[in-house]
Amino acid sequence: MEHESAQPASEQSPSTSHLLGTVIGRELRTVVRTRTFYLLTAALAAVVVGITWIGGGYAAGYLPTAVDLLTPLELLVPIVAVAFGYRAILADEQRGELDVLETYPISPRELVLGVYAGRAAGLVAAIAVPMVLAAVAIAVTDTDVLAIYATHTGADSPLLFARFFVLTVLFGLVVLAIALAISSLVSGTRSALGMSIVALVALLFGFDLAIVYGLTEGLIADDSLLYSLAMSPLSAYRGLVLETTVAVASGTGPQVASPIVSLFGFAAWTVGSLAVAIWSVGR
Amino acid sequence: MIRQTPVLEITSADYNYGSVEVLDDITTTFGEGTITALIGPNGSGKTTLLRVLAGLLEPTNGAVRYRGTDATRRIGYLPQQPAFRPGFTVLETLQFYSSLVGAGEADARKRLEQVGLEDAAERPVEALSGGMTRLVGIAQATIGDPPVIVLDEPASGLDPGMSKHVFEIATDLASAGTAVLLSSHDLELVDRTADEVLILDDGRVVRHGPPGSIRAELGVESLRAVYENSVAAEEGTVRVQGVSS
Repeated sequence: MEHESAQPASEQSPSTSHLLGTVIGRELRTVVRTRTFYLLTAALAAVVVGITWIGGGYAAGYLPTAVDLLTPLELLVPIVAVAFGYRAILADEQRGELDVLETYPISPRELVLGVYAGRAAGLVAAIAVPMVLAAVAIAVTDTDVLAIYATHTGADSPLLFARFFVLTVLFGLVVLAIALAISSLVSGTRSALGMSIVALVALLFGFDLAIVYGLTEGLIADDSLLYSLAMSPLSAYRGLVLETTVAVASGTGPQVASPIVSLFGFAAWTVGSLAVAIWSVGR
Repeated sequence: MIRQTPVLEITSADYNYGSVEVLDDITTTFGEGTITALIGPNGSGKTTLLRVLAGLLEPTNGAVRYRGTDATRRIGYLPQQPAFRPGFTVLETLQFYSSLVGAGEADARKRLEQVGLEDAAERPVEALSGGMTRLVGIAQATIGDPPVIVLDEPASGLDPGMSKHVFEIATDLASAGTAVLLSSHDLELVDRTADEVLILDDGRVVRHGPPGSIRAELGVESLRAVYENSVAAEEGTVRVQGVSS
């Protein structure tokens, strides 16, 4: 069995950057024109600003606000990220557009990376708007004199909040990649929703419970706990925030995460999920 | 049988969905500048054969080989039920596809004019009728000027005038040197338009040749009579492949 008519790379084919730009542009337009994404951003903004207000974060400063927001964002960011990604590839597949795209000189890798980049831009905006609103509110209402450089213990700083924001975005991008993988593997909207819920439960509870189980059963040694935590995106995110943001200001204490290994965990989940999506689109 | 240079050939190809054999030992070639029409009862394997030829399915056995010139896009494809991402205008949709072959808005507009839809350029794709969506799909299939264009039931669900228009577009494409492969149930239009007819029944090619030659061979007046002589399924029944009767 062979097929030599499948679309090969031709000398006249557009460059990868051109193809990526085309797909990213299409995804960005889709995000901008989808009301659901505005609603998600507004809901996230309401929660973030509401918690900042109720928790007294406006007066207390950036770091207390980051601590207040950490747990809600652990729950909400994955939900928003899944909403951005779970139908991204599936919808094209259901309309038959993936078949049509197969006859164009674009590879599954270029298509998946383009879709991911376009949706990622929308997700970053959806996370940035609420957090920038909170940061601006703190900046306007906080009465303390702030140190710009959080280089020593006890200092509150917008840079700590910026670090928290960047880590939250990275966490969202990891979950988006997982959602994209799900979107490429399923064949119907119901199964996409079902698998997304399973993935969310695994992300939010399953991996942490597995680590706790591993610890209690002696499967995970105490001295390798930090590395085990890095394997769960949620634990890696929490550990990164605590280690690089909260611990900086709160002083010495036990190490709660290995930042390098946690970032490696993020990268492994993202690259692995995108590889699954590329394989699935190309099969 | 084919007088023109073959651009696509399929050799001893089978296609199985699990244990169900959908295509059985298909061998033929498709020449440049010709319209080849696939006709046959529902479930005879037309769509599967077109998808195999378009490179969307790999044959279980046998081979499909492209023999045409190097092109940015070798094969254009219109699915049986074309659909496009909602929230975009017709022009934006075609611009997206044009951009994938390195072309721009002018190319997209040219494709729209080719199918007579230039006035619908700014209309959202979700606001198009079924017929107009199919025409946008045909315009999409021509993007990149592929040497082979595969159209799965391009006239399905269209009124007689629109069906005729679709076959005229196919004729224009063939006149420009494109090998057009299409499936259709409109035997009258096929009889008038196709250079070659390939009759498929139960996954096998039961007859292949110019409509006039096949009619003469069987001594009948119309392609409908050829069809009725060639296919085993009774009218009003659907042949379910993998189930022998």
